[in-house]
Amino acid sequence: MAKEKMGTAIVITSGKGGVGKTTTSANIGTGLAKLGYSVVVLDADIGLRNLDVVMGLENRIVYDIVDVVEKNCKLKQALIKDKRHEKLYLLPAAQTKDKTAVKPEQMVELVNELKKSHDYIIIDSPAGIEQGFQYSIAGADRGIIVTTPEISAVRDADRVIGILEANELHDPQLIINRIRPDMVKRGDMMNIDDIIDILAIDLIGIVPDDESIVISTNKGEPVVMDEKALAGKAYRNIVRRITGEEVELLNLEENDESKFSKVLKLIFGK
Amino acid sequence: MKKDVVSIKGVAGGIYLNVEGNDPEVIKTELESKMKTASNFFKGSRFLGVRGDELSEENRAEILLLLKYKYDFEIQIEKLPEEMVSANYEPNKDLIVSESEVVQEGMTKFVHGTLRSGQEVSYNGNIVVIGDVNPGALLKAKGNIVVLGSLRGVAQAGVGGNRYAVVAAYSLLPTQLRIADYIVRPPEDDIQYKYPEIAKVVDGAVVIEPYLPNK
Repeated sequence: MAKEKMGTAIVITSGKGGVGKTTTSANIGTGLAKLGYSVVVLDADIGLRNLDVVMGLENRIVYDIVDVVEKNCKLKQALIKDKRHEKLYLLPAAQTKDKTAVKPEQMVELVNELKKSHDYIIIDSPAGIEQGFQYSIAGADRGIIVTTPEISAVRDADRVIGILEANELHDPQLIINRIRPDMVKRGDMMNIDDIIDILAIDLIGIVPDDESIVISTNKGEPVVMDEKALAGKAYRNIVRRITGEEVELLNLEENDESKFSKVLKLIFGK
Repeated sequence: MKKDVVSIKGVAGGIYLNVEGNDPEVIKTELESKMKTASNFFKGSRFLGVRGDELSEENRAEILLLLKYKYDFEIQIEKLPEEMVSANYEPNKDLIVSESEVVQEGMTKFVHGTLRSGQEVSYNGNIVVIGDVNPGALLKAKGNIVVLGSLRGVAQAGVGGNRYAVVAAYSLLPTQLRIADYIVRPPEDDIQYKYPEIAKVVDGAVVIEPYLPNK
């Protein structure tokens, strides 16, 4: 018998909607699988599922998470293997149900089951802090908070960090998404330092606002596979940091090495 | 064809119940399970009577009463046509429409308006949608599905195993199509045809073809 793994469950959450939780989940999941880990990305947004669409797997769904917790099917039957990566699976949300269909206890049981046979379980949490969020965080070992450089997103992120801590999920890590270096430079956008100052948690990555994200989302191919896109590189770095590797923060100004290193120095004081 | 203890057969004039064997208990249990899955399906059909070579008159009468009162069948003629009662009656193969073959008629649900993501319509018969079915919406029918608009969601026809169910739409672009135990998804190249199409199971595969030959 194969040795049981003891994987890590990471919940991707934000409080605010539209900051890029689903995109982040798809990219982290795909990125980890690319490195050879066995990964399940779990869509916890019952009733408003999207992760399947972003990963281009929508038309393969037969069973979903609600079928699993209601025991209409076996867990294995509901896991959809990715088109490109052998060790990447999606556990889709149900679309015709709502968030009352899954209870936190059931989620804990489900995630623990998945952890036995996979290295990473990436849980894409719904927006908000209600039931859906509550069961999303129930089975997680770690939390990753996604925010954008907007005061409203940062405020919600702060609220969520507090709730995670109250639920014994300590030391969440932060991804700042959709940064526009030109705007930061003009002083029109919150800079990384301001955000870290408020949230006071570890930064695990920054992702630039990149057209290639929109293109890849619409095509159902996570941008992490796009070797040319800066956002793809940003996600590849985040993935490496998740596995414990130390990677320098991304240079957001692609063709302007010297300028950016100045900015980096300014921001991080390195 | 496998011989069920109890089966419902259709002939030109309506449907009848065919019974094999003569053990009343077995027949009753089989009838119960058959009715559970199929009774709605046959509602509204002209029911002709009960046929069974080994059946005693007493048992036949009991089954008729069961059908009439327990399962609410409207029995039109309590006696089968003369020629069908004779022991060596072999139904004309051309006229036979057994329940597991083509879905030609039955109860139909009409859905007016567009079905959006997250909406589900499930029915123990046929479904006709006068509108579109968007991605994320789900249709489940025991019989056929017809969409008088664009079908972009998931359609499941022949729930319960009827491989003779079909799915037809003015624009057939489903996320996924299921007929009985077949599940198919559109090819990745995503070519969109501009004419009405029908999906059905032919020789163990789901095929999609235009149903208006001149378009």
